[in-house]
Amino acid sequence: MSDQRTIMHLDMNAFFASVEQQANSELRGKPIAVIGSGGRTVITTASYEARAFGVKTGMATWEARRCCPQIILVVGDNRKYTYTSRRIMEMMNDYTPQVEVFSIDEAFLDIGGSLSIFGTPERIAYLLKARILHSFGLKCSIGIAPNKLLAKLASDMQKPDGLTIIRPEDVNRTMERLPVGELCGIGRKMQRHLALMSIYTCGELGRCDPERLTKKFGVVGRRLKEMGQGVDTTPVQPADEDDAVKSVGHSMTLRQDVSRRDDILKYLLQLSEMVGRRARRYAVSGKTITLHIRFADFYSNIGKQDTLGTAVCLSEDIYRAAVAILDALELNQPIRQLGIKLSNLQHGAGQLPLFPEERRKTEAVRAMDMVNNRYGDFTVTFGTLLASEEKGSHVISPAWRPEGIRSVQVR
Amino acid sequence: MTSGKAVRIAVLFEPGKKAQPVWFELNHRQHRIKESTYHWQDLVGERQLLFYAVTDGESLFELVFDPADQSWTIHSQCAE
Repeated sequence: MSDQRTIMHLDMNAFFASVEQQANSELRGKPIAVIGSGGRTVITTASYEARAFGVKTGMATWEARRCCPQIILVVGDNRKYTYTSRRIMEMMNDYTPQVEVFSIDEAFLDIGGSLSIFGTPERIAYLLKARILHSFGLKCSIGIAPNKLLAKLASDMQKPDGLTIIRPEDVNRTMERLPVGELCGIGRKMQRHLALMSIYTCGELGRCDPERLTKKFGVVGRRLKEMGQGVDTTPVQPADEDDAVKSVGHSMTLRQDVSRRDDILKYLLQLSEMVGRRARRYAVSGKTITLHIRFADFYSNIGKQDTLGTAVCLSEDIYRAAVAILDALELNQPIRQLGIKLSNLQHGAGQLPLFPEERRKTEAVRAMDMVNNRYGDFTVTFGTLLASEEKGSHVISPAWRPEGIRSVQVR
Repeated sequence: MTSGKAVRIAVLFEPGKKAQPVWFELNHRQHRIKESTYHWQDLVGERQLLFYAVTDGESLFELVFDPADQSWTIHSQCAE
């Protein structure tokens, strides 16, 4: 082990469910699961009481009820979770500026430079745990290790409310008999491939001939060997040092499957406005539009993209490109989910159009944006969207971040 | 379920602490708050709204404070 950094990984325990249990004291100590607001949603998070009955994230609600008939299903309130997450991330910044938000309920902290101020890593962990518990009544698990891979592994070892430290001298012993699937980044598919090579534990992976791994997995092979050895040199990347955003997208699961073109177009217009609004707010435009469709059977899906001659950010232009893609597709089933993505991005303010008609259109959009910035999204919008009941984003994407273009305002 | 209805309310403001609703009136009935269970904020356009989940021991209420017009409204109510 060459790296002697001190990395902390903080993971909020059953985050959404715990927030709901705090907000409603009647739910505390009971098996609950948070679900989306749509009628045919899946389990977003289950409380530890529900997990004891086998309820898992991603289960359909009927499956959850079969595992745990007394389960209480709570429609999630994303605003509670994003606010709480922001506040917790702010608390972390009190101990180090080196905070990398990994998702809404997870973050990495490089606390190496803060130890002279706060003392030991354990003290920082206990201070953070106490502040989160005091402010929100929420518990978290913390892992401390010499790198991100091991810190994440450590935080997973003791849940809920754990604190696990993997010291440099403990790494080899910890990795030796650890199943490879315990490592973040090794999924079931990779596990199966490794099993075919008779590799089941991290110890075996770390000792494997690198050429054998490279032959099987390409460039990833070398990285896999390092993972088996508990080596990870990737730095903690605070948001401002993070890679530039490569795309802006939104998707929505529809309340009911749709097959009529007019109905599909309404959703496409709404998605185009959401993508366009966010792109314009952060002064990006993009040349490539991708339309993603998931069909009624849940398993079939299609994604098609088109690259335009110029970069666009106006909702109308995004919509027009998405409709052109739609019209080139043959739809054999009703649609369950729709998504639009703008990529191939150019950062920086767009040029004001030369021609009067285009200029008027841009000015009108600018005026709409100003009103919506002041009074909220969709205050002024396209006439065809006025009757739509549920406008805006109702899903916290894994890419959500507390600040910047990835900070999607959710409902 | 009640949503967006303005309420008469007593709130305790203490230095260094967040505002603490004490009681509110809804449909001519005073509800004395036993526990303020959760607090969060939401941005609607430029308006920062402050949400308080409170219980009177019988029901759970969501009270919303809009600092822009100093109004308190009840956002939702569910029986516990």
